[in-house]
Amino acid sequence: MTLLLDLALVAWLLALALHIARVRDDRNAIVAFIGFGLLLGLGWTRLASLDVALTEAAIGGGVTGVLLLRAEAHLRPGKASGASVSHGGKTLAAIACAMVAAGLALAVLAFPSPAPTLAPAAATALPSTGLGNPVTAVLLAYRALDTLLEKVVLILALIGVWSLAPDHLWGGAPSLRPDVVPEPLAYLAQTLPPFGVLIAVYMFWVGADAPGGTFQGGTVLAAMWLLVMLARLRPAPETRRRSVRLVLIGGPTLFLAIGFLGFAMAGGFLAYPESIAKPLIVGIEAALTLSIAATLGLLVAGPAQTAPGR
Amino acid sequence: MADILTGAALFILAVTALGLFRVLRAEFAVERMMAVQLLGTGGAAALLLLGAASGTGAMTDVALLLMLFAAFSCAAFALGQASPSVEGAERREDGA
Repeated sequence: MTLLLDLALVAWLLALALHIARVRDDRNAIVAFIGFGLLLGLGWTRLASLDVALTEAAIGGGVTGVLLLRAEAHLRPGKASGASVSHGGKTLAAIACAMVAAGLALAVLAFPSPAPTLAPAAATALPSTGLGNPVTAVLLAYRALDTLLEKVVLILALIGVWSLAPDHLWGGAPSLRPDVVPEPLAYLAQTLPPFGVLIAVYMFWVGADAPGGTFQGGTVLAAMWLLVMLARLRPAPETRRRSVRLVLIGGPTLFLAIGFLGFAMAGGFLAYPESIAKPLIVGIEAALTLSIAATLGLLVAGPAQTAPGR
Repeated sequence: MADILTGAALFILAVTALGLFRVLRAEFAVERMMAVQLLGTGGAAALLLLGAASGTGAMTDVALLLMLFAAFSCAAFALGQASPSVEGAERREDGA
């Protein structure tokens, strides 16, 4: 029965992917792509990768969709109806994509049969971190350096987006406002965020012992913030505000500071003393959740569009 | 018991898939956005059943996020709506 389910899921994913590639209108393709992200989250659960499933549902099914819809709405006025890709170009893209997919499939099939794994080692060392979720242990203890750099990259991406603002708008507020706010949207933006914030806190907290964690929690928070900005309940903050910038860099800074403290307390960069490893990790995660939420929200909100006041 | 639950999940997924492709071909843009809602509901139902079948409690969390982001994506759709007049023009275009 499970095999049948997996085959059906694969067939559905392929059919949806084909639909996205074939559909004419950009917005239809984006809507189907959001659905694809949600479905892919379901697919990851079949591979028992619940942490990946949560991230895929949040990023692929949520934030990426808004980013794409926003880009499409921005580009639409200037788009001529005939300016689509030619038939030859599409064939070329299809061939290139098929080749990449075939190469990836070959690479996956060529894996050595008992795959070299560090999973037993990771599981044995788990008690020393005080965590129950091996994925969180890898992200914040064993490979903390990768996670730290990843968060810094997010900030760099935001700086890249901000620098698209013209000089006289630098430091001003981005604008996410649609021209019309339908009544149901305003209602949703008033009802959903309390639950969303609760779910985000839960995601962050449960991440220490079960699938979940900073990135999922941060993305949920970012989505709720975007919802509030979309419905015009609160304007986007000015990007020059000190509090905004402090929240943005708070997480990575705390992470880095605790990393350097590791030299004094545990004899190495990003090493935690065993007795207080868990409180340190949860503290870093809490600060990172806020930073990720602010970064993702501002990334989607885009560069400043109004001049800073005074 | 697990087989029955998995079978039910398969049935829900199949029905959702059929519904999805029907809705994705809908006439109006707003109706197509309902495809994401449909997937959120159907996907969450399937996840809950599969979670019960395999005894993984964390599947419930995935279902929770799926629902949340399906609702959120629908709200994001408002970004594409320029103004009532443009929306009207688009509808005529869509209908043609």
